[in-house]
Amino acid sequence: MDFSFTEEQVMLRDSVARYLDKDYGFEARRALLRSGAPWSKEAWRRFAELGVLALALPEDTGGLGGAVSDLVPVAETFGEHLTVEPWAFSLVLAGGALAAADGNPAARGYLAGLASGDAVGAFAYDEGRGIASPAQIAMAAQPSGDGFVLSGEKRLVFAAADADFMVVAARAAGKAGDADGLVLLLVDPKAAGVALTPFRTQDGRSAAHLRFDAVAVPAANVLARDAHDLIAKLVSDAILVLAAEAVGAMGALLRLTSAYANTRKQFGVAIGTFQAVAHRLADMKIAHAKAYATLMYSTALAETGRLTARDVSVLKAQVGKLGRAVAEAAVQTHGGVGMTDELSVGHYLKRVLAFEAIFGASDYHFRKVGAPAEAA
Amino acid sequence: MNIEFGPELERFRKEVAEFLDHAPTPEIREAGRKTTSVFAPFEQAIAWQKILHAKGWVAPAWPVEHGGTGWSIEQRYIFAEEYRKRRLPPLLPNGLMMVGPMLIELGTEEQKRRHLPQILAGEVYWTQGYSEPNAGSDLASLQCSAVADGDDYVINGSKIWTTLAHQANRMFMLVRTSRTGKKQEGITFLLLERTDYPGMEIRPIIGLDGFPEQCEVFFDNVRVPQSGRVGAENDGWSVAKHLLKHERGGSAASPAMLHNIAQIREASKQTPSPFGGLLADDPVFQRDLGELEADVLSYRCFEQLAISGHPMVRDAAYPSMNKTMNSELSQRVSILMARVSGIGTAPLQIEALTVGSGVAPLGDDFDLIAMPYYLNTRATSIYAGTNEVQRDLIARSMQAS
Repeated sequence: MDFSFTEEQVMLRDSVARYLDKDYGFEARRALLRSGAPWSKEAWRRFAELGVLALALPEDTGGLGGAVSDLVPVAETFGEHLTVEPWAFSLVLAGGALAAADGNPAARGYLAGLASGDAVGAFAYDEGRGIASPAQIAMAAQPSGDGFVLSGEKRLVFAAADADFMVVAARAAGKAGDADGLVLLLVDPKAAGVALTPFRTQDGRSAAHLRFDAVAVPAANVLARDAHDLIAKLVSDAILVLAAEAVGAMGALLRLTSAYANTRKQFGVAIGTFQAVAHRLADMKIAHAKAYATLMYSTALAETGRLTARDVSVLKAQVGKLGRAVAEAAVQTHGGVGMTDELSVGHYLKRVLAFEAIFGASDYHFRKVGAPAEAA
Repeated sequence: MNIEFGPELERFRKEVAEFLDHAPTPEIREAGRKTTSVFAPFEQAIAWQKILHAKGWVAPAWPVEHGGTGWSIEQRYIFAEEYRKRRLPPLLPNGLMMVGPMLIELGTEEQKRRHLPQILAGEVYWTQGYSEPNAGSDLASLQCSAVADGDDYVINGSKIWTTLAHQANRMFMLVRTSRTGKKQEGITFLLLERTDYPGMEIRPIIGLDGFPEQCEVFFDNVRVPQSGRVGAENDGWSVAKHLLKHERGGSAASPAMLHNIAQIREASKQTPSPFGGLLADDPVFQRDLGELEADVLSYRCFEQLAISGHPMVRDAAYPSMNKTMNSELSQRVSILMARVSGIGTAPLQIEALTVGSGVAPLGDDFDLIAMPYYLNTRATSIYAGTNEVQRDLIARSMQAS
């Protein structure tokens, strides 16, 4: 067994880290968010140059043909730097949907743009208060001729306001709870009947709630029918990559908080010398080690195509729960200053909470793990 | 990355499984099912050790030249995994996992020649004489004294938490040989070749589960030969620290926990939920079971990274992190077992728990062990350095970074 990354993977991660250390420091990130830009176009261009946009896209449309497990080391670095670019959402979710739409000409056109950095995609999946399983998708795709007519709402669609295309997961038949009857459709965000309510997320990303009012989707834009398993696979890939970001954030919190506890003095001594504080630091280190080990093991499973839905639930639940514990402990250890916008600690907290909230919270995934196998 | 053990290791796993399926006697299996702490029932553990010794598999971690198997770390993990998931009684650890490896590194040739073969063969059992009534986590405060006299030491004082001392015929211990300087610097490490020296008295302590596992040992002018000393006089602390690393060592603990979780899951399918229906279908129970299992699976990932030689194991805090995770997960598993057993835990079942008694348990085997296992598992966060001490050590490792 070997749970280390290849030399190639490490080199790529290190070049991304070098760029981010230099040009995407915490103050640069704050300035970016103040500017009102959805994300850094410059960073996106550099990501394209470094090859991290093309990394897991198919080779015949300009990608590098890597696997989702190749994204993990880069994602960890993104988490450490709290990047706000829609990397996972545009490439893993929207890009993954296009790549699976075997030879669809519209999809092929956008894939080349995704790899070069010229196009950004959005993935419209969530509804209501969050969807843990694709079977819960309810938004209607009414069959109309060879195509569909979309009506209803999607929420928390990352990069939607600036996306060149959207992939929408919707229900063509059956009712919420059914695995059957799902479709993936390619939709122009500027199409008639699409209304956006854009917003900035708590952790600095650009997203929107969407309303679809009888939006016609021609047959040429149907990416997948009977799409439950495909959507589940895309979500599983996204969970792996976003978990890697969250673990990267946890690692940063661990470093920041131990450094702070060993320098900040109260009552004449470093606060890290108080046992109550020391033991909280120890618990942070244990939590990070568990989350990290789970991520590495899951990545190795993904690399061999053996990552099951149950493994993904373990990863999602553990990183969500442990990430929250580490981030809340970091804020507490930093005291008042941890409550301020000008310190990164609280921003890491928001990033790990964002991970915990999407694709089913920890409680959902814990219950999936605990339920009898036949019902899982 | 590579998650596979490889075909030769999978062949090894088959060979191990084949042997473990057939070699243990029914009494040994019964002892395994009735093991509720780190220490299996004494007689059956020794009987099982002799069978493994005959096979050459008694000391997976020892070097070949001293009677070990020469297995790689992966082979050792596979062996432990197959062993633990069959619920076979663990071998008594003091000789095989503590004194033996310590002597291999620090003992004289004479000590190795004399003790190692007996340890392997299960002819001797070594009890550990470290703690004293006033020296627990603060072990360096120990007071039990040894005064050199001719070729002997004369020992006075007492030891406590000497596991299975009433069954033991050997003892390794720490004694105070100097009261000047730092308290760590006046300690000496001794091997006692008998536990029935004149002036030595052993009193078993009945544990929370109703069984004598721990003991107190009293020394009244006990004369022992100086040839049993390991290392120099007053240098016993460094010998003990050496040995402690074997005590906290990372073996395969997750397979036994996962086995317990599988038992909990099975039991929940027969257990009524207080809301009606079965506990297995109760959403709150499912969530709680899933949370625990997910955490054990994360610990399993941690173990797998460790055996793969991931740089993580070189962290100074690794042994303390492993001990803390392992002990606290075992405790949570034990709590859920007792919760599922419910009032099944109420009967005190000393006889049914005794191997060979022929007394059938009230309820089933799960009910029989749920409470004693729960009670004994309280000790995991106390022994080998309390978890408070472990967390101090983990936090200390974070000061340097």
